[in-house]
Amino acid sequence: MHDGSENGRPTEAAKAGPQAPAEAGPWLAAIAEAQDAAALQELRVRLLGKRGEITQRLKALGQLDPEARREAGRQVNLLKRSVEEALEARRAELERQRLEAQLASERVDVTLPGTRPPQGGLHLLTLVTNRLLDVFQSLGYEVVTGPELETDYYNFEALNFPPDHPARDTQDTFWTTDGRLLRTHTSPMQVRYMETHRPPFKVVVPGKVFRNEAVDVTHEAQFNQLEALVVGERITMADLRGAINEMAQALIGPGTKTRLQPTYFPFVEPGAEFAIWWTNPRTGREEWLELGGCGMVHPKVFEAAGYEGVTGFAFGFGIERLALVPYAIPDIRYFYQGDMRVLEQFRGVL
Amino acid sequence: MRVPLSWLQAFFEAPLPEVERLVDLLDGLGLAVEEVTELPGAPAGVRVAEVVSVAPVPGSESLKRVVVNDGATERQVVCGAPNVVAGMRSALALPGAVLPGLDGPVAEREVMGVASQGVLASPRELGLYDHAGGLIAFGPDAEVGAELASLWGPETVVELELTPNRADAFSLLGVARDLAAKLGVAYRHPAQGLDQGDPALDDGLELDVEDPAAAPRFSLRAVRGVSVRPSPVWLQRALASLGLRPRNNLIDVTNYVTFELGQPSHAYDLAQLGGGVMQVRRARAGESLELLTEERIELDPADLVIATPGADGSSVAIGLAGVMGGSTHSVSDATTDVALEVAHFDPVTVRRAAQRHKLITDARTRFERGVDPNLPELASARAVALIAEVAGGRVDPGVSLVGARVERPEIAFRPSRVRFLMDFEVARPDQRRYLEALGCEVSEDAPDAWRVRPPSWRFDMSIEEDVVEEVARLHGYEHIGETVPNMHFVPPAGDPTHRELKLKLAASGLQETISYVFTGEAELARANAPAAVVHLSDPQGVERGVLRTALYPGLLAAAVANRRLPALGLFEVGRVFGHEEEERLALLTRGPRAANGWGAELAGDFFTLKGVLESLAGLLGAELGTTPTTEAPYLHPGVAAAVTWNGEPVGYAGRLHPEVAARYELGEVYVAELRLPLAGRVIRFGEINRQPFAERDLAVIAPVEDTFAQVARLCREAAGPLLVSLEPFDVYQGGQLPTGQRSLALRFRFRAESRALTDGEVDGLMQNVIRAVRDAGYDVRA
Repeated sequence: MHDGSENGRPTEAAKAGPQAPAEAGPWLAAIAEAQDAAALQELRVRLLGKRGEITQRLKALGQLDPEARREAGRQVNLLKRSVEEALEARRAELERQRLEAQLASERVDVTLPGTRPPQGGLHLLTLVTNRLLDVFQSLGYEVVTGPELETDYYNFEALNFPPDHPARDTQDTFWTTDGRLLRTHTSPMQVRYMETHRPPFKVVVPGKVFRNEAVDVTHEAQFNQLEALVVGERITMADLRGAINEMAQALIGPGTKTRLQPTYFPFVEPGAEFAIWWTNPRTGREEWLELGGCGMVHPKVFEAAGYEGVTGFAFGFGIERLALVPYAIPDIRYFYQGDMRVLEQFRGVL
Repeated sequence: MRVPLSWLQAFFEAPLPEVERLVDLLDGLGLAVEEVTELPGAPAGVRVAEVVSVAPVPGSESLKRVVVNDGATERQVVCGAPNVVAGMRSALALPGAVLPGLDGPVAEREVMGVASQGVLASPRELGLYDHAGGLIAFGPDAEVGAELASLWGPETVVELELTPNRADAFSLLGVARDLAAKLGVAYRHPAQGLDQGDPALDDGLELDVEDPAAAPRFSLRAVRGVSVRPSPVWLQRALASLGLRPRNNLIDVTNYVTFELGQPSHAYDLAQLGGGVMQVRRARAGESLELLTEERIELDPADLVIATPGADGSSVAIGLAGVMGGSTHSVSDATTDVALEVAHFDPVTVRRAAQRHKLITDARTRFERGVDPNLPELASARAVALIAEVAGGRVDPGVSLVGARVERPEIAFRPSRVRFLMDFEVARPDQRRYLEALGCEVSEDAPDAWRVRPPSWRFDMSIEEDVVEEVARLHGYEHIGETVPNMHFVPPAGDPTHRELKLKLAASGLQETISYVFTGEAELARANAPAAVVHLSDPQGVERGVLRTALYPGLLAAAVANRRLPALGLFEVGRVFGHEEEERLALLTRGPRAANGWGAELAGDFFTLKGVLESLAGLLGAELGTTPTTEAPYLHPGVAAAVTWNGEPVGYAGRLHPEVAARYELGEVYVAELRLPLAGRVIRFGEINRQPFAERDLAVIAPVEDTFAQVARLCREAAGPLLVSLEPFDVYQGGQLPTGQRSLALRFRFRAESRALTDGEVDGLMQNVIRAVRDAGYDVRA
């Protein structure tokens, strides 16, 4: 942007104008040697100040005859201009040097680590749950949660588990001494929701569930489920499969397949297990991922909720599986040990 | 449920589909395949051999010199098996044979100076089934000299994971029935056409069922003159493929029929039954029973027992009905006459008795899930025919029988409901065909008004939807389409999982953890947390005896797990279980707050934790309040605050009590525990105030016990409504200040709505402040 500093030798151009009178020589040399702004200012006063040498000469011009004055005036003005230019050039040069020195002194090693505020993050199970909730909310489902400490009525009876039936054995239950229980599935919320709402609706229930069974790398006494319940005037099994497919598409991408196979849960009829066809991100293999159970809401469940003339479907699955399988986490117990070496690996995108 | 395919094949004329297709068919029927295993047959180089003589090996307690006939020649082998006896038939591995359960090939060698020309082998050594307690023993059907591999070939076993409703499929017959219905072919019932005995004939037995509700069907049949011996190879192989250990021909037959037809039975020694009388009754108080396992149980009056008159005529319990027989009256090697019990018991009676005595047996599992109540006669006929076949003897033409056939009630069924629920069409004739193939009786009153009577073995069919499922199951779930429900539903907004809160906490540098809801009473006490309210009745160890009453102990455990880290920030959102179940948020901070490892570091203290809460409140537009408290026993009494959120008390924040910290071997740790939800404030907007602030500073010297909040309140009240903000900018103690006093340097900012304040006005307000502060007994430095 300025005079010749781009060639690295700014002082060349600042020395003098082409017509600088010879008598300017010592002055220009002194200006070029000024070491700071104060020295430069001193020179400016000595030469161009009220009583400066050049000012004096200009004042003296008035005493000359017009002929001589013109010539002498031209000379003095030339002298003044070359001094002014030299002063400005030197000022700019000194300023540039000062800036350079400042920049040099302010240099930091940008490769050193930054001063970090502590790094936080969400638990992988929360990330996976959030992803699922995003999917279901985008499909128009309401999200609800419910108590973890439940009663036999909501966990079993209202869900058509007959008393003294081995179906209860498949749900190894943590009973409390006061006759309550830790819910063995998120399905009690089906009943609780239906007690306080009228169809049609689409809800999804995430939450912790508990099974009193031996703990190993794939089984925890505490884990998470997500349950969907859709009730309307005429909901069909095809709507159920469609909903599972929509979830699979949103979760995994277009072109996925779903598979339903008959099975038994007391609170659905017909009942099925469902799997989705996916590419396992860990192995790269295409395979069925068996996710959970589903079916048409059993008439006894509607009866418990006081519903008539409606049909509905429900499906539910474990969230841990969707967290364990893709990330090849070897032991489900890692989720509950609070070890930062595990937790801090859960940062990033799913 | 293990299904050996050669056994399943025996139910069908035509060959079954290939294994892979078969697995798909079973999965599609809801008989989920867990695993397919290939069982090897007997190894090569093993022959059936007969023991000719047994003599002790001098100098050995257990080893015997055994001469065997291998069909071609006599050989001498050294054998240590306890059951080796002259005349028995067993398996001889010849030199060179490789046995799955033996290291290295069999070789001729010398044992304690006696030459051994082969190995008499146990079932485990042969790799046939898991028993190493003696030699495998064969009956007369196994020809001496035969290659065992030609008698005992490999087997493919499909293992099914049956759901509790499908008790009917808990047998080869049940699986064959479903498969036949799916394939549209006939199957052969193994008891078809067998003599079921004539109840009118005198069979020398007497049945006395006291409680017909608990034992609605009971049959007893005699087979006299049997020889108890090892079962034929085919029977041993069949049981081995189920994972069972063959015992003798009587017990093996009862087990075989259990798995073939799904009907448990028990063989009693007829000679032991007092007068041939069998009684079925509730147990008496004080009565006990020695089970087959030789365990003695004290019976409960609710237990249903099998009994017989003892020597003195009084009734003696000889079996726990539907669970396990007793040791004293069951068949033994000495038995010659058998009384075979085949009965149907009430599922709940069996289940409760088994639960009471903590017994898990195959019979219990079957009865509690449900056995076909009409099966006893057929199963009895099958079993006695097999006993006669494998053990000889004469089946009594009579039978003692109690109870009558039962029928399941009809279900009103509309074939149109298949379409209605499944959204696919199954033609009515096909629906009828499917249902009949499953054993249902179908009556058509009108095209869309059918009556369907399920077979006696389908306990799971009782309502119309059950019938729909059967039709759909046989038609195939692969026909279910994919549609979107046609409904109008606008979900209400809300964030019940506290996503926003969690995200904000993660962004403020805290890591989310998830702990167990169960914990131990000692753990709660260790953390000075409230005592447990909810106790588990069957906990897995003491560390899981109760439900947590606070979240922060979980964070403390996590802090312990991460002790090696210089700094830590954690949070958990979860439920605690006091007198009410409550959702909470807990926070924990420890160590420097911001650091780069090579210089700069921001020390962590109470204000680090409070700052997190303040920024959370700030993001939500909520008002956070703190007052000193001594109500939280887990907090340092001098660094503990009761926290309010928009004026409501929500919990506590502070430094973990040093006493608690020491128990966890943690240093300075800060924790907060707050009730959820922490509501935000609805955003409000006011026009920007463009008036300049007038600032004044004032230092108040006050006793250290008087909080900033107290002093600030005093100042605010004195300064009046034009005071916009009041912030401390220096807190100072010691130096020239008297002991027990501290200096709070405060910055006051004043502003009016719509005009600039004059200096005089502001100075006047500050004079009010100074006066109020002095009136309160504080000193002031301007």
